[in-house]
Amino acid sequence: MATLTTRAPDRASRRTTVGTPARRGRRQTVTAYLFLAPTLLFFAVFLVLPLLFALLLAVSKWSGFSLGQITPIGFGNFASILGRGSTFLTPILTNTLLFAFGSVVIALLASLVLANCINRLRFQGFWRTLYFLPIVTTVVAVGNIWKVLYEPTGGLVNGLLNAIGLPSVSFLTNPNTALPSIVVVQAWTAVGSAILILTAGLKAIPESYYEAAELDGAGAWTMFWTMTLPMLRPTLLFVSITQFITALQSFALIIVMTGDGGPADATNVAGFEMYQQAFKYGDWGTASAMAFVLFLVILVITLAQLWFFRRKGEETS
Amino acid sequence: MRSRRKPWLSYLVVALGGLVMVVPFLDLVMTSFKGPGEYGTLPYHFLPKHLDFGNYAAAIDGLDLPLLFRNSIIVTLVVTTAVLLTSSLAGYALAKLRFPGRAFVFRFVLTTMMFPPFLFLIPDFLILVHWPLAGGNNLFGTGGSGLAMSIVALVMPFLVSGFGIFLMRQFIVSIPDEVLEAARLDGAGEFTIWLRIVLPQTRPVAITLGLLTFVNAWNEYIWSLLIATANPRAMTLPVGIQLLQNYLDPARTTPIVMAGLVLSIIPVLVVFLLLQKYYVRGVLTSGLR
Repeated sequence: MATLTTRAPDRASRRTTVGTPARRGRRQTVTAYLFLAPTLLFFAVFLVLPLLFALLLAVSKWSGFSLGQITPIGFGNFASILGRGSTFLTPILTNTLLFAFGSVVIALLASLVLANCINRLRFQGFWRTLYFLPIVTTVVAVGNIWKVLYEPTGGLVNGLLNAIGLPSVSFLTNPNTALPSIVVVQAWTAVGSAILILTAGLKAIPESYYEAAELDGAGAWTMFWTMTLPMLRPTLLFVSITQFITALQSFALIIVMTGDGGPADATNVAGFEMYQQAFKYGDWGTASAMAFVLFLVILVITLAQLWFFRRKGEETS
Repeated sequence: MRSRRKPWLSYLVVALGGLVMVVPFLDLVMTSFKGPGEYGTLPYHFLPKHLDFGNYAAAIDGLDLPLLFRNSIIVTLVVTTAVLLTSSLAGYALAKLRFPGRAFVFRFVLTTMMFPPFLFLIPDFLILVHWPLAGGNNLFGTGGSGLAMSIVALVMPFLVSGFGIFLMRQFIVSIPDEVLEAARLDGAGEFTIWLRIVLPQTRPVAITLGLLTFVNAWNEYIWSLLIATANPRAMTLPVGIQLLQNYLDPARTTPIVMAGLVLSIIPVLVVFLLLQKYYVRGVLTSGLR
């Protein structure tokens, strides 16, 4: 994707402009940098500077008061979060991976089925809007709505369970069900945008392909497996990568639904632990080191997906 | 149209899924009307016994709504305006002006999108605390609280969007060069061209970008929570409602919080439903390019 987009400006720049080239060129350069000035200034202060600062903190010890107290200690922060007895690898990073993997798989499968179904119905816009509602709602609302739904006494989900004769489940306070319960909510919020993007992918498949396959006597199921799915691969890759990136770092839902990543770290994820280390315990070095470890995890998972989808592509083509 | 063979199955699946999407919102509205003793008891009842507006009164009473709405509106308007302006200016420069370093700047803008926001949470906060000559700070950024205690802190990290610049640039590229050249031959400066030709031509994509930015800014939580912890006067609506739970009468907390949530969802829902076709189109075009 990135390689495709970076090529675009070169094509535009090859066009020539009429007029006196030298003076016009100089004037355009000045104007261009004037137009870009706010952007470049912003990125210098809020992108480059923070990155350098985060790197420095990751290899330092600092309790967050005076900048003069930052003490470089090498890779000590990394050693302690990755070492024995640290809760960062298990359960926190494991939770993060389970949270991301679970929610993305559910959202992808559900959106694949739903996008295909919606594509055959009337009032498609209405249906898509319905599934899009959680995305325009703040995470505070989503988290609280589901907290109420999961409530052991007087919540809708347990009301349904009781109605069919099953006992109530303490979804968010039982360590075994807490994380899966939040995974479901994360998937619930992610389905809408996945449907939207998959629909764009579906609409891009020429109708004539299906007509030809239908003439050949292919059933709906065969067409889905042999045509729709392979042709959707780039779109699926895009959805999968962006959703993994979001899910691996998001923790707003967890703050809202369990407050402290509990019960007993059962819903603690890396983004939240980083936040706690910095703003609750004042250990900014550890927090920054965690941020970079998580960044690396995201990078590896993104590259792994690119590799996986490309390999699958070669096998079938 | 193809595959009309089993539409009832599709209807069934989509309608069942639709229920899963809508019922939580309905439960939210229903719970917001439940009176004392109606919520948190068995057996579960979906409908409230009667419409009790007491929770709304309590939510309005417990929340400093003028402050929260004021902060949320200021943040949303400032961020949306800033993102639209900077994206359009930078997008025009990257799409239509020729200057040394253009390819590099464009690639840089694309790269900014790949860094996860959490990486900036801590440094951004520190940069604001140590902002020179603000909030009691000296020239070297020490001695005071910088911008961290000001409402400015809420908007600072969101004023420019790499995604926005990318989206605008992709759109401006498709404006024919001849139109711009004709204006240049007539003696129009680049700023005039941007104002008179580029801005009107990019209205649809500007609405899309504005809407995406509006929704994100209105719903932003983590950064606002951080700033509100440092300075409660800078609290926004989502943060205020979340913190509401700590102060209320526990027996009635949930229905009151639900009432507050309904109040906070309404503005963004109205904007979304009014402009949703642009939103959908924006996600479709931006998501795939």
